[in-house]
Amino acid sequence: MTDLAGVIAEVRRGLVPAHIYNDAEVFALERDRLFSRAWVFVAHESEIPDPGDYVVRRVLADSFIVVRDEARAVRVLFNMCLHKGMAVCRAELGNASHFRCPYHAWTYRNDGRLAGLPFHADAYGGEDGFAREGQSLLPAPAMASYNGLIFVSLRPDPPALTEYLGNFAYYLDFYTRQSPAGVELRGPQRWRVKANWKIGAENFAGDSYHTPHTHASVVDIGLFREPKASKRKEGALYTAGPGSGTTYKLPPGGTFDEQLRYVGYPHELIAAMRATWSREQQELIAESGFMVSAATLFPNLSFVHNWPVVDAAGTVAPFISVRQWQPVSERETEVLSWFAVDAAAPDDFKRRSYQAYLMCFGSSGMFEQDDVENWVSITDMAGGSMARRLRLNSRMGLTSDDKPIKPPLAGFAGPGVAYQGFGEFNQRHWLAQWSDHLEQP
Amino acid sequence: MRPLSYGDERHQAAHQFLVEEAALLDAGDYQGWLGLLADDIGYLMPVRVTTARGAGFDSLADMAHFDENLYSLRKRVQRLYTEHAWTEDPPSRTRHFVANVRTFATEGAELAVESGLLLFRSRGDTREADLVSAGRRDLLRPAGGGLLLARREITVDESVLRTQNLAVFL
Repeated sequence: MTDLAGVIAEVRRGLVPAHIYNDAEVFALERDRLFSRAWVFVAHESEIPDPGDYVVRRVLADSFIVVRDEARAVRVLFNMCLHKGMAVCRAELGNASHFRCPYHAWTYRNDGRLAGLPFHADAYGGEDGFAREGQSLLPAPAMASYNGLIFVSLRPDPPALTEYLGNFAYYLDFYTRQSPAGVELRGPQRWRVKANWKIGAENFAGDSYHTPHTHASVVDIGLFREPKASKRKEGALYTAGPGSGTTYKLPPGGTFDEQLRYVGYPHELIAAMRATWSREQQELIAESGFMVSAATLFPNLSFVHNWPVVDAAGTVAPFISVRQWQPVSERETEVLSWFAVDAAAPDDFKRRSYQAYLMCFGSSGMFEQDDVENWVSITDMAGGSMARRLRLNSRMGLTSDDKPIKPPLAGFAGPGVAYQGFGEFNQRHWLAQWSDHLEQP
Repeated sequence: MRPLSYGDERHQAAHQFLVEEAALLDAGDYQGWLGLLADDIGYLMPVRVTTARGAGFDSLADMAHFDENLYSLRKRVQRLYTEHAWTEDPPSRTRHFVANVRTFATEGAELAVESGLLLFRSRGDTREADLVSAGRRDLLRPAGGGLLLARREITVDESVLRTQNLAVFL
């Protein structure tokens, strides 16, 4: 039996018991204490633009139909027939006015309401035996969206989503609201990796330290806009609300427009960003000189923004990916990786940005390939008895008496706390939230 | 349209091309593999999805696992030859099984070739091996007495891939 209090105490000290990355008991606790109540991403509204459009997504073992009903409202419905429990939708996406259970033909409107069942009078004696009125596929206990990102909570009374996001919303806008049109998500690419879900979430939250070595090959081949991966140490790491992320330091002295041009945005989109982002958001790029890169919103939604060279002429194109680390078991994760792009961006930019995404991230991405190799290996190592004796040192950036080795970054326009250089502040921030959930019965 | 007879020299040349290509890939001779590609190569592997029979589509029109041109394929190959492509060092042991080859004449000189591909990929000593099953539709272009791959569309048979990445070619 895992000594949970002991594990959490060590995690909070930044000495992470290695077995938490491959431990069935820990995974059961994550299911019962974390995913049972956290806000969890399921889909983006751009994936279901028209009435009847749906995608089927999971929160661990629970399958939900995320559907736009005939009144254009987004619904998140538990995909299980009220009668005998078969999945009423067995496709992963499509368009439907109704969902009909193949077993006994109970039929539901795309807002979840039961529309009919066969032989109602003969089999049930009509409304007296089974009242159809008010019957509906079970809705997700709570649902809310921000910038089109749809989240559910399995707990009926979570804090309001905006309250939960807090000042991480400031950073979310860089990835998901570059113009009033918002972003469109394409995909996802889905693949399963023999890795624990926490590793990717932590990595995207703040691991700028892995870039120079893990991703040395993409620097070698000139794919990376930044000539040296070690440039990552000039970037800032921030924590804000339930999220945290990494940034790159931009060339000194550039204006807002120049910095966005440097990473490859076309002028139409730069103008849209200027009109859409707040003064404080623009200052992060212009005055502070930082560009957002990877980030994680606790628990399992990550973002990445990078700007590789996409052709032989040296054209630089930025891309955004939204990704979810969907836990399958303590040692397996399904990665869902979307390409995101401003819906109103020029078509040629969308094309370049898509190419940039495919080359860098997702199932074939040249950055992601090496990341996953690391995560599979960690999970493999974490499954044995020796891992129970090993504390992984996650104290980077702290002195022996738990003080930051340098003060927080002054002149960082974003909210929260930021440090320049390498550190594991963000991973500890993520693990602290994980600990908060796991120690709550 | 009917495929060319298996005795047709064009079919035999196309079949041999695919088998020789598989041999290069399984030997890790990616530089040699690049030599089989036309300058205007299009290399596409759409994301496959589970949809209702009547939906009219079973892959995503705007999202692929690969949507490559010669530049991006060269970069992928170049990366595998660096000393830092950790995901393929140690390298996977792969076997590309090519089957069900059907060759069709086109209006031009190119041959349209369909094939089934089963990729066996083993990494490390104890990990479970991966299988990737796919259909391929290729356009092979006669050039310099041989053939070049001008276009490939890979129709993967799973919607959720069960291999850790596509640091391999199909």
